[in-house]
Amino acid sequence: MQKTEFLLLLDELLELEPGTVKGSETLESLEGWNSLAIISLMALMDERFGVALQPRRIAACTTVADLVALLDDKIA
Amino acid sequence: MINPMDLAGRTVLVTGASSGIGRETARLISQLGARVVLVGRNEERLAETLRSLDGEGHRAELFDLSSADEIPRWLKSVTASSGPLHGLVHSAGIIKLCPLRVSTSQTVEDVMGINVKAAIGLARGFCQKNVRASSGSIVFLSSVTGLTGQAGLSAYAASKGAIIALTKALAVELAGERIRVNCVAPGLVTTEMGQGQLSLLTPDQGAALKSMHLLGFGSAHDVACAIAFLLAETARWITGTTLVVDGGYTAH
Repeated sequence: MQKTEFLLLLDELLELEPGTVKGSETLESLEGWNSLAIISLMALMDERFGVALQPRRIAACTTVADLVALLDDKIA
Repeated sequence: MINPMDLAGRTVLVTGASSGIGRETARLISQLGARVVLVGRNEERLAETLRSLDGEGHRAELFDLSSADEIPRWLKSVTASSGPLHGLVHSAGIIKLCPLRVSTSQTVEDVMGINVKAAIGLARGFCQKNVRASSGSIVFLSSVTGLTGQAGLSAYAASKGAIIALTKALAVELAGERIRVNCVAPGLVTTEMGQGQLSLLTPDQGAALKSMHLLGFGSAHDVACAIAFLLAETARWITGTTLVVDGGYTAH
C-alpha cells in the first residue's frame, strides 16, 4: 500500500475531509483518535490490506509518523 | 453417595467441540457418564477431543454449521447410527471485535449465521422424531454482552441477545414436547477465542476488562459445569432461563 492510501484511510476513519491528515500530526491532536479508533484501524487494515496490527504497538504510537513506521515494510 | 449431575445413559451432541468451551463441555459430560457426539469442522482437532473423553461410545462428526438448512437432514442421519439424543449444546460461535463505524452487513451476516441461524437449525433438527429421546435439554451459548453493553461488539452482542430471546421462545414452544431450553451467558473465558479477543485490546483496555471480572477471568471448565447442570436432572424444573457465569462481571 502507498503512504497516501494509509493517510486517506485515517481521514475516512476519523471522518475528516480526504487529505486532512498530512503525516506529521500528533495522534492526540486528531479529533476522534481514541481506543475505539485503534480497534477500528485494526479492523480496516485487516479487511482492506490483510495487515494484522498489534494493539499494544498502536497504543505506543504518539504521532501519525509513528503509525506509518509501524507499517514499515508494508508501505511503499 | 449419589451424583445429582449423573448423565449415564444419555447421549449429548456438542457443537464447537474442537476447542474451548465445547471441548471442555464434551470432556466434563463424558466424565459424568454421557455418550457424546462431537461436531466441528477440523478433523484433527475433533479427533484430539475424542481421544480425551472418558468412557465409550463417543463419535465425531465433521459438519459445517453455516449450511443451516441442511442441519435437520444431517441430524437424522447422525442419530440413525448414534441413537436418539437427550441433549444438545451449541457451543460453536464466532466473535468479531468491530466498532460500529467499520461494521457492515457482512459482519452481521457472519456473526448471525453461526451464532443464531445455526442455533435455530439445530433446534429444528433436534426436535424431529427419532432424533431426540422422549425428553431433552437444549443449551445455547449467550454471553454477558447479550445482557450489558460493551463497545466494539454490536453485531456479536445482537447475536447473543438474540440467543436469550430464542431460548425463551423455544422454551415455551417446546415445553409440551418435554424439551427444556436454556442458555448460559459467560463473561470472558481464557479459551483460544477469549485470548484472541484479549490480544486485540490495548494493555489498558485489557486491564479494564479484567477488573470488571470481580473473580478474574473464567476458564472453559467454569462454563462447562453450568452447561452440565442444565443438561442433567438437576435442572429438570428449569427452562427458558439464562444462567450467568461471569465472575461477577454483571454484578456492577
